[in-house]
Amino acid sequence: MVETVKETKTETIAEHGTTVETGAERKAAPAPPKLQPYFYHVDRVPIPEDRAQKFLQSFAVILRHTNYRFVLDMYARSMTRCGRCATSCPVYQVTGDPKDIPCARSKLIVDIYKRYFTPGGWLRAKFIGDDPLTNQKVDEIAESLYRCTACRRCSIECPMGIDHGLITHLGRYALSEAGIEPKGLVVSTREQLEGKTRNTSSVPLPALVDSLEFLEEDFESIKGAKIRFPMDEEGAEYVFFTPVSDYLMEAESLMGIAAVMTAAGVSWTLGSQCYDAINYGLFYNDWVLDRVNNTLLDETRRLKGDKILIGECGHASRAAKMFIPTFNRGKPIPVINIMELTYKLLEAGKLELDPNVVTERVTYHDPCNLARTGWVVDQPRAILHAFVKDFVEMTPNRQNNYCCGGGGGTVSLDEIHKFRMEIGGRRKMEQIRATGAEIVVAPCANCKKQLRELMNYHQLPVQVMGLHDLIMRAIRMPGAVPVGKEANATPTATEISPATSSREGATQESQVDAAVKSSDS
Amino acid sequence: MDALLDFMRGPLLAFALMVLILGLARQVILGLWGIGESLHRASDRQIPFGRVIRTTMTWVFPVTRLHRSKPVFSYASFFFHLGVILSALFLQEHIDLLSGLGLSWPSIPRPLIDWIALLGLAGLIIILLYRIYVRQSRAVSGFLDYFILVLLILTVGMGYLAGQSWNVIPYKVTMLIHMGTGATILVLFPFTKLAHCALYPLVRLSSEVGWRFTQEGGSDVVKTLWGPEGRKI
Repeated sequence: MVETVKETKTETIAEHGTTVETGAERKAAPAPPKLQPYFYHVDRVPIPEDRAQKFLQSFAVILRHTNYRFVLDMYARSMTRCGRCATSCPVYQVTGDPKDIPCARSKLIVDIYKRYFTPGGWLRAKFIGDDPLTNQKVDEIAESLYRCTACRRCSIECPMGIDHGLITHLGRYALSEAGIEPKGLVVSTREQLEGKTRNTSSVPLPALVDSLEFLEEDFESIKGAKIRFPMDEEGAEYVFFTPVSDYLMEAESLMGIAAVMTAAGVSWTLGSQCYDAINYGLFYNDWVLDRVNNTLLDETRRLKGDKILIGECGHASRAAKMFIPTFNRGKPIPVINIMELTYKLLEAGKLELDPNVVTERVTYHDPCNLARTGWVVDQPRAILHAFVKDFVEMTPNRQNNYCCGGGGGTVSLDEIHKFRMEIGGRRKMEQIRATGAEIVVAPCANCKKQLRELMNYHQLPVQVMGLHDLIMRAIRMPGAVPVGKEANATPTATEISPATSSREGATQESQVDAAVKSSDS
Repeated sequence: MDALLDFMRGPLLAFALMVLILGLARQVILGLWGIGESLHRASDRQIPFGRVIRTTMTWVFPVTRLHRSKPVFSYASFFFHLGVILSALFLQEHIDLLSGLGLSWPSIPRPLIDWIALLGLAGLIIILLYRIYVRQSRAVSGFLDYFILVLLILTVGMGYLAGQSWNVIPYKVTMLIHMGTGATILVLFPFTKLAHCALYPLVRLSSEVGWRFTQEGGSDVVKTLWGPEGRKI
């Protein structure tokens, strides 16, 4: 009789210097359990024994149904491997490990393409020598592709114009369809697309509504003016989506955004059927990318909105902006990022920002997904220059910025926390430290999480916040009633100090937690 | 020896040039076809052509960018490309080889072209040393990377020596090596990474088009792999 047992394994991956526990439901067998080579947890267990075969199968099917084949073909014919990309990679800069050179990583995938999907590869294997794909090679590929933060910084230094980020994307996609995908991404996506709450953080709607009411009251007590988070208002110009984690962690960002919308009289709404912009499909699977994008589109159509407005989040903005035109099966719906809108409103004279409130030294971190193509680069800087007196740039910046170290979905993989702190995020930490800034503005949910952990890990006394957190401090609300000591209720720097901020965050979180519990019960 | 040299100057060169031209033309046609077909399949066809063309042109003369990353390798690479291309195309003796086809264009006079060739040769040698001795470059180098560099060094080096009065190697031997390695390189162009000389204008565009996915690609992949019912996440 075959007995099913619950088994927990502990494995140490020396290269990452991290210990992870993996739980697996597997059938008891006489042989001792084999340690799996993955440092991040693979959700679909057991890991396929024939993963080389499965990888090739999914690779072949992907090449048949998508546009990746011609790009791989082009890269295979023209990749000169000059290695210039190496020096631009923040991971390679720290490790110096040749396996972390972007074109060496891409070569893993391109070589498989050449060997199994071109006549030349077949001939070579037949007459010169074969180098078949093995399980071990698939394991190496899996590890290599998730050491990359998909920041695409290497692509701007490649003289040929090869986009290693695209190859990483394809490789992760093929791995995913072969059953090798990080649990941190899969579990969240499962809840978002197939779960009860329909969002990655399992926040139920009643909890969300409670939170929004709390934020409205909180804002009024701080600034003496009312803001609104409209819900399910049909016909609004903008339907707003932000990472659902913002409702748990980023009270000031949300209040700042609502303050901008209220002060400028923008017609906007949130939707009750979809309030999570996170799209992990961008990091590991095109089918997921399509499905999540369609939840945004369906909600926008349900609410008869004109445009999709994405909050402070790099990957969510890029996933929507770049791929909604691809996956939209109906009338075109434009996508814009909140910083684009705030900039437009500021330029139009609809916002008044007090230049005397923010006295700390501030620097700006460019989220890769917003900055690499130059999409949202100047707008946040123009906004900051409008009310921040002591603004310093980190170097390099804008399109040439360094990744926070948690890009490509890796910020959601707690198993590689040490890797993110000591390797992936090291360059960013050094950059921030060099500026001497007290505040780093990071308008992205992933970057904020990674940078807060990074500042904490390296004990840098730097606050990490969103752009709209600062705007909330400085905005002059029309018709504000004086609160406390100051007219127009502009809070001083200490009123939303890190301590206050984190306390409010905690209150906010505990409210949501309570609501989640009551909803569960 | 003379007959061999005549053969190299005549039929061998014609053959190598034919392979080069037809092979590269095939590569370009395949590349253009791939771009066109992918754009046709993609539902989003908005390509930032302006940015693509601008960036592609910037990297043709990347003088303002070379210092940013691997400066020694980058400058060496730039000057080797410059030296090899100019000395291959604008040496009077090379132009004369094509006079039979009725083709002709101005040449770069000696001794300037000699200096240009030397610059290219220096760049090639630095790159070879880099690929041998620098760990980072060695890690991404394969047999062909070294083989092509050696062939290029022999071609340019022997070509340069052939024009020097102080050349201690017999002229005919020098020319034999020069033409033999040169013809080999011409034949290798379409089948190796050297194809980038023709594909360069298309690579950056391909990267942009590559991000334009097919609308049903993800669903079709799932249906093919998991059946019409699809799969759970």
